[in-house]
Amino acid sequence: MPTKNTSPAVRPTESGRAAGGGPREKSRHGAARRRGRSERFAPYVLVAPAVLIILALRLYPLALGVNFSFTGDGDANGTAVGLANYLELLDDPLFQTALANVGLLVLLLPVAVAIPGLLATFIFLKVPGHRIFRSVYFFPAVLSPVIVGAIFNLMLAFDGPLNELLGTIGLGPVDWLGDPGVAKFAVVGVQIWATFGMALVVFLAGFATLDASLLDAARVDGASLRQSIWHVIIPSLSQTIQFVFVTTMIGMLTSMFGLLFVMTSGGPEGSTYLPEYYIWIQQGQMNRPALASAASTVLFLIMLVVGLLQISVLRRAGRED
Amino acid sequence: MRRLGKWVVAVPMAILALATIYPLIFTANVAMKTRREYVLDRFSLTESLHWDNVAAAWNSVGMARYFANSLFVVAASVFLLLWLGSMAGFALSRLPFRGSKALFIGFLAALFIPFQVIMVPIARVMADTGLIDTYPGLILAYVAQFLPFTVFLMTSYYRSVPREIVDAARIDGNTVYGVYRRIMVPIGRPALLSVGILDALFCWNDVLIALLMMPSADHRTLMVGVTSLRGQYTDNIPMFASGVLIAAVPVLLVYLFLQRQIADGVTAGSTKG
Repeated sequence: MPTKNTSPAVRPTESGRAAGGGPREKSRHGAARRRGRSERFAPYVLVAPAVLIILALRLYPLALGVNFSFTGDGDANGTAVGLANYLELLDDPLFQTALANVGLLVLLLPVAVAIPGLLATFIFLKVPGHRIFRSVYFFPAVLSPVIVGAIFNLMLAFDGPLNELLGTIGLGPVDWLGDPGVAKFAVVGVQIWATFGMALVVFLAGFATLDASLLDAARVDGASLRQSIWHVIIPSLSQTIQFVFVTTMIGMLTSMFGLLFVMTSGGPEGSTYLPEYYIWIQQGQMNRPALASAASTVLFLIMLVVGLLQISVLRRAGRED
Repeated sequence: MRRLGKWVVAVPMAILALATIYPLIFTANVAMKTRREYVLDRFSLTESLHWDNVAAAWNSVGMARYFANSLFVVAASVFLLLWLGSMAGFALSRLPFRGSKALFIGFLAALFIPFQVIMVPIARVMADTGLIDTYPGLILAYVAQFLPFTVFLMTSYYRSVPREIVDAARIDGNTVYGVYRRIMVPIGRPALLSVGILDALFCWNDVLIALLMMPSADHRTLMVGVTSLRGQYTDNIPMFASGVLIAAVPVLLVYLFLQRQIADGVTAGSTKG
């Protein structure tokens, strides 16, 4: 059925309906055939620039980076050192903290998915003001992490508004960004504040495909809201939920640099390090590109594992239903 | 939900909405205060709108320069992304050729390589080619970073264009390139708008790539400029807030007018993926 771009199939009935206003000259077999030869390569010409850029600036660097990670830094620049960089990583308390923080993010992931999921449910059910809520919740998602971080530097300062608010109800003050036990939760909290609107919009798009008659049937049968969410909404939206899980995790692993850079610089006492910040410090400040490459490779593997694990877990959950 | 139930939910949601918007209002309010006013009471509504802070941040700290840098880099990057992305999307969706499916999967895979993973070798490649600390270098880095996403969404969109339209245009005597220029570009306008806005936001909001690619001070983009404000104005918070405000206002404006297109772009990936 799809005509190859080189075959001059003549279907005069359709030529008059060409949208977009192409020239209305009649098709000429000879011209089409001559053109055919020079145009056989047209698809390749069209994709070539994109392919070249991806090859040169994404795939080649990926291979180069993995290769770097098995070579030395400084005096040993370029010589093979085997797994020395990886062993050094495992010994480095800062990298250990970074990995532990990744574990913390994984634990907090259900919260980061449930909040927008629940809010999207209520917006879908048209709570009063749902249009305004949608617009307001989505807004922080378009702000740069740098701006979000700068704003929360003000909000979370020791003498800032949040502590003042807590003070009026007799709590605090809390050293949000200065206490190693607190700072990482503060930063993750800000990350969730800044991105839950993105997941919310994705959930709402999923709801748009939901069969409303199922929900109606559940309500007629006397199902409570909790039962409806558990037995109708979650099974119907499993694909959307899976997508949100994966994108939220990827977001936590790869888009918190701006927040860390502005809010804590990895501190206090290195407690808010994440792999991406570690890579930046080793590459930019410590002049250890090979060690940074090893950390990059670890981060890539983490992302791969997280993605595959989540997909398979959710697949299995979906099948059991 | 019963009527009462709706309000039980709506009130906490309204409080959350306030909590979402308050930090921005607080920052804007602080930006309009004098230093004295801020120190005396940081919460009170500003007595009058002191645009001096904003003007000072704009003129003396170099925000104007950074703003222009960002504007230029984002415009050039988005133009290239849309051009290359729509050409590739057209070929991958409507001109089946040997290996086009594998190529599409390759673009999808490239989508999952985060910049952090390739940032060390990219820095080296850019240094070796003399592109580091140059505008073409930064633009190229942005194009490489966001091209897989752009190609993916343009391909998905062009798949929804009926083949008959392409065929008919070919029969009318258009070359493949003519079909691209006369049919696919005009027909793809909604997708180009959505994807273009998202690409623009990504580039505008980025700080890591810009930090890595543009070491010299007068090549800074706006977001890198905001990070440097922090060290400069530790004792002048209204000035700091003004710089933040300058960087946030363009995004706020884009959001107010193009919120639907942004949401469309975000969700296109989830429903078509």
